[in-house]
Amino acid sequence: MNKKAIRLLILLVIAGTILTGCAAGVRAESTPGITVSEDNVYLAYMTNLYQIDRTTGVQMSDAVEKVSANLVMYAPPLVDDGYVYYGDLANKFHKVSADNLRSSSWTFEGAKGWYQGKAAIADDLIIAPSTDRNIYALNKDTGELVWTYSGEFAFISEPLVVGDKIVVSAQDHHVLVLDSKTGEEIHRVEMIGAVLSSPLYDPESGSVFVGSLGPEMISFNLETGVVNWTYGEGKALDSIWGTPILNGNELIFVDKSGMSIALDKNSGEELWQNNAGGEVVAGAVLVEGEGFLVALENGTINFYTGDTHAPLRSITVPGNIYSKPIVDGDQIFVPVINADALLYTYSTTGVPGWSFEAGN
Amino acid sequence: MWDAIIIQPFTNLLLLITMLVKNFGIAIIIFTILIKLLTYPLTARQLKSTKEMQDLQSDPQYVKTMAKYKDNKEKAAEYQMKMYKEKGISPMGSCLPTLIQFPIIIGLYQAIMRVMASTPLELVKLERLVYPFLDVNKILPIQNRFLWMDLGQPERLNVFGIAIPVLAILVVLTTFIQSKVMQPASTDDQAAAMNNSMTMMMPIMMGFMAYQFSAGLALYFLISNLTTIGQYAVMGRADWSALFPWVEKKVEKKPQVVIEVEDDEDDEDDDEPEPVKVAKPSARAAAKQQRPKMKR
Repeated sequence: MNKKAIRLLILLVIAGTILTGCAAGVRAESTPGITVSEDNVYLAYMTNLYQIDRTTGVQMSDAVEKVSANLVMYAPPLVDDGYVYYGDLANKFHKVSADNLRSSSWTFEGAKGWYQGKAAIADDLIIAPSTDRNIYALNKDTGELVWTYSGEFAFISEPLVVGDKIVVSAQDHHVLVLDSKTGEEIHRVEMIGAVLSSPLYDPESGSVFVGSLGPEMISFNLETGVVNWTYGEGKALDSIWGTPILNGNELIFVDKSGMSIALDKNSGEELWQNNAGGEVVAGAVLVEGEGFLVALENGTINFYTGDTHAPLRSITVPGNIYSKPIVDGDQIFVPVINADALLYTYSTTGVPGWSFEAGN
Repeated sequence: MWDAIIIQPFTNLLLLITMLVKNFGIAIIIFTILIKLLTYPLTARQLKSTKEMQDLQSDPQYVKTMAKYKDNKEKAAEYQMKMYKEKGISPMGSCLPTLIQFPIIIGLYQAIMRVMASTPLELVKLERLVYPFLDVNKILPIQNRFLWMDLGQPERLNVFGIAIPVLAILVVLTTFIQSKVMQPASTDDQAAAMNNSMTMMMPIMMGFMAYQFSAGLALYFLISNLTTIGQYAVMGRADWSALFPWVEKKVEKKPQVVIEVEDDEDDEDDDEPEPVKVAKPSARAAAKQQRPKMKR
C-alpha cells in the first residue's frame, strides 16, 4: 500500500480524533447544580441527576438509567410539592417524582437549545429558561406549553418570580420584567454588560438588585422599571457573576476579583469593602443568625460576621467552587468540580460532614 | 504554554475582529481567511517543494540512476542526496510547512470553540484568556446568531418543517471538491484506490462533524475548505479536470523516457548515468519510470 496514503490516513484519523475530542469536551463542561429539600439533596451534574439523603449522603435514586455523553445535566433542579423539574443538554425538560427520579410525569421536548438555568414556579406554571433564546412557561401538571418569550440571547439564569411578575436576567445586557400569566414584556432595564446571575428582590423597598459583567450593580423599581441607582462607574470593580444578598440595609455582593462590597440598599452609597483573597464566581451566601460567607473559586470559604463584617473562620473545600453553596438549617452544601467528590457538606461552624461521589 | 503561544493570541484576535465587525459569523469568516492568508507562504512553499520533488522524480536521468541502484540502498540514498543538493531541494521542504501549519489549524479551531463559550464556566475561562486592553466584559458572551444559524448549536434550516443541515451538506461538497482538485496523480493502482477511498471518506467524516457540532465550527470548516480551494486555484495547482471531465487536463510536456538499464556490476561505482533515449512525451509514462521494476 502507498506509504503516503497510509500516512495521510493516520493523520486524518488523528486530526479527526483531536477535533472530535475538543468539540465533545466543550459540550460536556458543566458544574454541579444542587437544590436542597427537607429530606434530600438533588444534584445535577454531567450525565445524571442524583437524589441524595440529606442526613447520610447516600444516593437514593438517579434519573438516568443508561448514561449518554449527549445527555448532560447542568441546571440545578427545581423541587416542588413532591416533584423534581429539570432540564438537560439534550434540549428536554422533565417532571419526575422527587422520591424516584426515574418515575417520569412528563417531558417537554419543544426547545431547540440546552437548559442551563434553574426553572422557577409561578403559580401553576413552570418557567424554564432555555439557551435557544426562549423562556418557556409550561403547565405544571401536564407539561403543555402555555406561552413562550423570545429574546436575543440564551437564557441561563434562574428567573425571579414576584407575584404576577417574572424578572429575568438576559445576556443581551438587559433585565426583563415579564407578565407571568402571558409572558408579555412589561419593562426592560438596560445594563452595561451581560447579566449572568439571578436578580434579588427586596419586598420592603419593592426594588430589584442585579449585577452584570459590565461591571455594575443596579437597583430598579419592580413596578415602574425605573432605575434607583447604579454602582460601578469610575470604581475599581470587576465583573459580577453572583447574586447579591441583603443583610439588613446592606446590599452585599462580591466581584470576580474577590472584593466584597456593601452598599446602602436605598441609596447605593458604598458602606465598606473587604478583600476575600481570591477570585469569586459563586458569590456570597447569607448564613442565618451569623452573617455571610464568600466562596472563592479555589475552594476557600470565608465566613464573616453580619454586623461588623469581620472574618469569623475559614474552611477549605477540595476542588473548585463555581456553583453557589447552599446554607440550609445548620448544614452547608458545597458543590465542586476537580475533586474526588461532587458535593461536600459542613456544619455552619465549619465541621466537615459527608461528601458525595457520583456512583456511590 | 500552548495556550499562551497559540490559543490566547488567536482567541484575542477573534474577539477583536468580533468587536470590530459586531458579528461573530463574519468574524469567523474573516478570522479563518486571515489565518489562511498568514499561512499562505507555508502552503506555497510546501507546494513548491512538492513540485520540485515530483519534477526530480520524473527526471529521466534521476529515474535511471535510481533504477540502477535499486539493489544498493546506500548508493541510491547517496545519489538522492547529491541530487537534492544540486537542485536545491530540501527533503523536509514539503512536510515541514505542514507540521508548522498543524498547530495553527488546531489553535484556530480551539480559539473558535473558546470564544463560543456559553456556560458560566466556559465564560470564566474565556475571560481569563482575554488580554487586558480588550474591554471584553462589554461584549461577552458573544452573540451567536448569524443568518438563520445559532453558531453555538448544530445548524439546521427548517424548510416546510424539514430540518436541513445546509452547512453540513456544503462542508461535504467542498471537502469532496477540495480532495478531488488537490489529489496528486497516482503512480499505481493501489495508491489510486486509496486516494479514491480517501476522497469519499474525508467528506463523510467532515460532514458528520459539521452535522453533529456547533454551526460555528461547521462555518469554519466550510470557509477553510473554500479558502484552500481558492489558494490552490490561484497557485495553478488545482486539477479541475479531476472534478469536471470536460475540462482539459493540464499536461506538462515532458520527454518520455525509455530506460535501458543493465545490471552490470561494473557500472555500480559509476556516479554518472548513461545517456537517456528520448521517445514521445508523456507525463504519465514519465511518472511510471520512477519504478525500478519497469526496467526494460
